[in-house]
Amino acid sequence: MKRVYSIVLLLLLQSSLLFAADIRFTASVSKTEVSTTEQFEVTFAINGNGDRFTPPSFTGFLVVAGPNVSTSMSVINGNASSSMEYSYVLIAVKPGTYSIGPASIVVNGKQLSTKPINIKVVKGQAVPQNNNAAAPQRQNGPDSRVTMHKPGTDISKSLFIRADVDKKSVYLGEQITLTYKLYTRVAIVGSEPEKLPDLNGFYSQDIKNPDQNVHWRTEVYNGSKFNVANIKQTILFPERGGDITLDPISFFFVVREANAASDDDMFGQFFGSYNDVKYRIKSTPVVIHVKPLPLAGKPDGFGGAVGRFSISTGIDKTELKANEPLNYKIKISGTGNLKLIKPLNTAFPPDFEKYDPKTIDTIVENVNGQSGSRTYTYLLIPRHQGNFTIDPVKFSYFNPGTGKYVSLPTKPFQIKVNKGLAENNVTAYSSTDKQDVKLLNKDIRYIKPDDGNIIKRGEGFYDSGLYYGLLAFGPLLFLGALAYGSWYERANSDIVKVKSRKASKIAAKHLASAQTQLSAKNSTAFYENVFKGLYGYLSDKLNIAAADLNREKIATELKTRQLDEPLINELLDTLDLCDMARYAPVSGISEQQIFDKAKNMINEIEDKI
Amino acid sequence: MLLLALVPALAFCDDGTSALFKKGNEYYAKAQYEEAIASYQKLVDGGYQSVPVYFNLGNAYYKNGDIAPALLYYEKAHKLSPGDDDIKLNLQLANLKTADKLDEAPEFFISKWWHSFILTFSLGTLAVLSVLSILAGSGVLILYRFTQSVTVKKASFYTAISLVFLGLVFIFIAGRQADYFESHQQAIIFSTSVTIKSAPVHTSKDLFILHDGTKVEVLEHNNDWIKIRLVNGNEGWIAANDVRDI
Repeated sequence: MKRVYSIVLLLLLQSSLLFAADIRFTASVSKTEVSTTEQFEVTFAINGNGDRFTPPSFTGFLVVAGPNVSTSMSVINGNASSSMEYSYVLIAVKPGTYSIGPASIVVNGKQLSTKPINIKVVKGQAVPQNNNAAAPQRQNGPDSRVTMHKPGTDISKSLFIRADVDKKSVYLGEQITLTYKLYTRVAIVGSEPEKLPDLNGFYSQDIKNPDQNVHWRTEVYNGSKFNVANIKQTILFPERGGDITLDPISFFFVVREANAASDDDMFGQFFGSYNDVKYRIKSTPVVIHVKPLPLAGKPDGFGGAVGRFSISTGIDKTELKANEPLNYKIKISGTGNLKLIKPLNTAFPPDFEKYDPKTIDTIVENVNGQSGSRTYTYLLIPRHQGNFTIDPVKFSYFNPGTGKYVSLPTKPFQIKVNKGLAENNVTAYSSTDKQDVKLLNKDIRYIKPDDGNIIKRGEGFYDSGLYYGLLAFGPLLFLGALAYGSWYERANSDIVKVKSRKASKIAAKHLASAQTQLSAKNSTAFYENVFKGLYGYLSDKLNIAAADLNREKIATELKTRQLDEPLINELLDTLDLCDMARYAPVSGISEQQIFDKAKNMINEIEDKI
Repeated sequence: MLLLALVPALAFCDDGTSALFKKGNEYYAKAQYEEAIASYQKLVDGGYQSVPVYFNLGNAYYKNGDIAPALLYYEKAHKLSPGDDDIKLNLQLANLKTADKLDEAPEFFISKWWHSFILTFSLGTLAVLSVLSILAGSGVLILYRFTQSVTVKKASFYTAISLVFLGLVFIFIAGRQADYFESHQQAIIFSTSVTIKSAPVHTSKDLFILHDGTKVEVLEHNNDWIKIRLVNGNEGWIAANDVRDI
């Protein structure tokens, strides 16, 4: 782009006698530090009209172009003003410090001179070709005139990419800022990336540059001046220890090359023909030495955080009903490998149902690294009522600056859980419980503790003799019962006969008791028993009711039964005797004799009836 | 009276066998399975048996890692007490550890129901139940014979008949069960890997390979060979000493 000069020059006398307008004569250069064979411009400007302009000698420089004179005139509000500019394009030949001497001009008879300007010249070869040297609009372009590349010379000396890291020896997980810088002294007309680095062994986060344009700046490297631009900036976190080499980045650049013919001729470089050649440029490899984190002092639950951090925990309510949700937030903020921190091991009470935490990152990557905050939000639902404590979370990080581990404490939270709504409780409970029961069933049932009737093989109850015996026993018993029953009924059909048969038994019973009384010499009782025995016997045998029982009746009945007279009499006598003997002692007959007599009586009657 | 006299004869419980059994249980509780196996096995080898003896021996073998003998004794226990759920579950779990996966041929559903019916109680239980039923029936019949009241007579008659019928049913089921076990002779394969042949000679064609722990049904005996049938219906011949009868 060409600059258009349109300045009006007014020559004014240097003396203060002259008119109000201040005439100044200044000299300026486009660059105060140039390299050899680099063009720059020197301009002498006067804001008035002057003549007999005399340039300085320009020793040590070659004048490429000049003088370029431009004048301008303007009338503003009736005031006329003019200015003039003389500019020269110079090139330095040898390195060193030179001075551009004063120029002079006569304004209104007065001579004005500019101040001398020092120019430092450094060694340089070809210089990038770019026509927008001093244009204020394009600040991002390289600001010195460029030259085309000389074919046959090594391109790597004029055009290379450096991988610049802010630290070369770091701890595992410590952040490194990597910048790929392009250094060039040749004219680049086009570029395209060939291969972006894999950056194996690192977790990388690119720093995004919101400004799409490339900013150029000049740097002196190895004694030469270069135009430098940052191609890419990344934050790296090493993932393993040891020496890791950074993968190179490679770009294709299209470089403007001078034709072989106009080799030595500097002017030919500007005005001669040229070619555009594509070169592939790879960055220099860089080795990063990664130190593993020290084992000494490593706290439990260290989650790999390297950098500088702070932690805060919070809970949204401390009292709630069962089955209501509770949000527990853990916020970690600071600089370092925030995105690589392993999830914290939280210890929640076992009756709380916990869900995986939501992670919200507010992280910014810039040249200082990765910084910001990460918030974990845990959703908890208590299933039972009671008072619970959420234990404090243990967070520790490694500070690479100090080389020490730092443990940050947090505080515990007391949660009071009130009884929840009944329906929710039941459904939640049964589903969790059901699963547990199933799992337990995988082992064999335990041994039986009691021996369960150990018997010899083949001697089991079934099919044994005992079994059949018992089986038969029932029916047999029944048949026996049947037989017995019919017999019994037959025998007992005649009541009278039954009574009669029973009678002698009863008498025998009574006489037996009499016998006992006899042995015990209880005469009264003896007689009583004999009396009772006989009477009872007769009552039953003759079927006379006890109330009707008297001597007469007995006699009548016995007669009817065709009993012998003497027997009847004997019986009656015995009866009388026993009766009497109950109240008065009897003589003439002993008790034993009476007893025997009674017995005989009964036997005789039994035989007869 | 007669019953009371017989009961002592029933009580066979030899103190020695009880002690051996308890010893086995102690070893098992201490996880000394080899010693537990030895104790229980002594009982079995001495000719004694009972459901817990077989079951515990099966458990001890299982815990010791010998699946084939475990299955053998579980099956023996099952034969004595077919309705016992512990035995059935352990059989299931032990079968999971056998090498051969065999799909059971589907059984006709009526015969399945019938078999599960006759196998609900053990023979011992059925015998006792049948005796009790008959005795009770007889007792009630006697009551029927001697009671005077008409209602009691009626009630006792029907009760007696039902009891006697129940007793007969038990006898019948017991008979069926005994017959079932008699006809369905089964065995467990003990050799780790054995080839089943198509005929009872070594040179006959190989049909399939079975592994230890697989249950087979014994169909025929022929010299040293046994004709077996698998649960999926396949048949073949196997050497007699590769299996042990349940």
